[in-house]
Amino acid sequence: MRATTTMTSPAILSLDTLRRYGIWILVAALFLVLPKIFSSGGAITTMCLMGIMIVFSLSYNMLLGQTGLLSFGHAVYYGLGGFLAVHAMGVIAADRLPIPLPVIPLAGGFMGLTFGIIFGAVSTRRAGTVFAMITLGLAELIASMSLILRGFFGGEEGISANRTRMLPFFGHKFGPQIEIYYLIAAWCFICIVLMFAFTRTPLGRICNAVRDNPERTEFVGYSTQMVRFSAFAISGFFAGIAGGLTAINFELMNAINLAGAQSGVVLLMAYIGGIGHFFGPILGAIIVTLLQSMLSDFTGAWHLYFGLLFIAMVMFAPGGIAGLIMLHEPLVRRRSFHRVLPRYALMAVPALLGLAGLVALIEIAHHQMVKAGTAGPAMRLFGIAFHSDNPLAWLAALVLIAAAILLGRRWGPGFRDAFNTAAHGGGEKETGR
Amino acid sequence: MTAAAMNALQLADVHKAFGNTPIIRGVTLDIRSGERHAIIGPNGAGKSTLFHLISGRFPVSSGRIALNGEDITGLRPYQINRRGLSRSFQVTNIFPRMSVFENVRCGVQWHLGYRYSFWSNIRKARDANDRADAILREIGLADRAEMPAGLLTYAEQRALEIGITIAGGAGVIMLDEPTAGMSRSETAHFVDLIRKVTEGRTLIMVEHDMGVVFDLADRISVLVYGEIIATDRPADIRANKRVQEAYLGQAMEAEH
Repeated sequence: MRATTTMTSPAILSLDTLRRYGIWILVAALFLVLPKIFSSGGAITTMCLMGIMIVFSLSYNMLLGQTGLLSFGHAVYYGLGGFLAVHAMGVIAADRLPIPLPVIPLAGGFMGLTFGIIFGAVSTRRAGTVFAMITLGLAELIASMSLILRGFFGGEEGISANRTRMLPFFGHKFGPQIEIYYLIAAWCFICIVLMFAFTRTPLGRICNAVRDNPERTEFVGYSTQMVRFSAFAISGFFAGIAGGLTAINFELMNAINLAGAQSGVVLLMAYIGGIGHFFGPILGAIIVTLLQSMLSDFTGAWHLYFGLLFIAMVMFAPGGIAGLIMLHEPLVRRRSFHRVLPRYALMAVPALLGLAGLVALIEIAHHQMVKAGTAGPAMRLFGIAFHSDNPLAWLAALVLIAAAILLGRRWGPGFRDAFNTAAHGGGEKETGR
Repeated sequence: MTAAAMNALQLADVHKAFGNTPIIRGVTLDIRSGERHAIIGPNGAGKSTLFHLISGRFPVSSGRIALNGEDITGLRPYQINRRGLSRSFQVTNIFPRMSVFENVRCGVQWHLGYRYSFWSNIRKARDANDRADAILREIGLADRAEMPAGLLTYAEQRALEIGITIAGGAGVIMLDEPTAGMSRSETAHFVDLIRKVTEGRTLIMVEHDMGVVFDLADRISVLVYGEIIATDRPADIRANKRVQEAYLGQAMEAEH
């Protein structure tokens, strides 16, 4: 890893450059072709949202994953950024100022940074629980203020702007959603690169030191308060950019955007994705956005699935999805992945049975409690028509779950052993780093 | 002023009480520049507390502390560290999820002027990386560089603890029981290491192993119930009647 500091010949340098920037070229290419692959209107809209949430959750992870700060009020900087961006769009359009739409997110970033500095100065004086409580208090303060200061926040209905009334940018008026997609994708890419670069700076490394051991950090010359404050302000900047993108995307901001629920969602995204790895929150943003937009089409109980997923991650995979992926790193490195594949296939049986049983149980219960009163007990699930008050349906769901538990208990230990052997022990000896 | 310049550290009538319980009861002590000074005493005498007071972890209740003639009373730990005093901890105190290399580099960063920079790439900070590499070689952890520090063995973590402490190049090094919990052979190796890495610096250490103390120290202070009852060269401390009564008698017997 550190070999990059001791470059020698130009040939090695170019190879090294390719290895270092290859992933970025890949990401940029992916951003460019994605709308060609998923070209439906709904898909473009969802991907726009994903791009915004990637920036937002990465900014959140600067605090949680990198500096060890649990904030309950990150939506404040996202929301305030969005509100200022909407106002900026309005003023620029009204006065015909020569400022194009693509720079509007900077207004959001400026707002996020400003309030990151102001509130950061208050909240980062302490870490841990005290910090978390202060962020919660400030978030409630701003959320309740948003309903009072109608001039800036627009009250219940919020404030809106028209993005197409600004000057064209190289002939683009940003009416169609696809143009917005590329605007968001460009900002998303820039922000990912910048936030990744941040992890490689002296301050970024010291943030990790503060996360790992704040006490010791004070004894190597760093004020932990200053480190927390800096991280908080910079994180506020990127959250503000995400807010600015939201303002452009929806042309509307209202009080919900900076309320507690939004702060909760970004925490879930970062955590489900995995706060221990840089790319974790990216995965989390994609998955949670996808679940939010798709699951709600299929089931009225989607919030419950969302909550269960979060609880399951906290209990069984605290490293998040990124952590689960990185568990397989030794398998890939030792080229022993094929040895556990049959075990995975075997474990898929109880996993799918359990999932089916759980879904059935939730859906039947949901139908019986919410819909049966008005629409009657008749329902369909997995292509089967039945009545939600039929005890056999309930029994079938429970049997599926029981079977999953039994099979899981029988095959689980074998799976674990096979995985550990493939990852760490047996066969050829570890060949070092 | 000339007297002050000769002393790396000066404590003048330092008191510390937790609530109504006095722990340090008037310590006055001069540590000379370049000497290796050991602080010994029975358990509960306040040795670690004294370390915490000097390094700024706890504020003093009264009294003054000066580093290289400059008053550091009431300063925060990072301010004291920036002025050239660095300490280790009795209970290993490292950055467990960061690599061994990064642990040491954290100790280097501030002192090479990188401070809170968020505009430069630390991988291109050649001086910081070279210094960290050199220190890793010095403490014998070069082949562990990329490993998460939390996975090191106990003895390795103790070595890393010293590595972080000396990384910034501080002129005054304080080690709190550096050889605690080590085997005989590890201790011998460690004494050599300490001697090597504190060459040309002032060393203050708390240590229970009398072999280590009498081997390393130029002068010894004996702390009993929050007071220093003697400060002298090792041979004179050994011969000191009061010290023998209060502490050393039992300690030396326990050693043999």
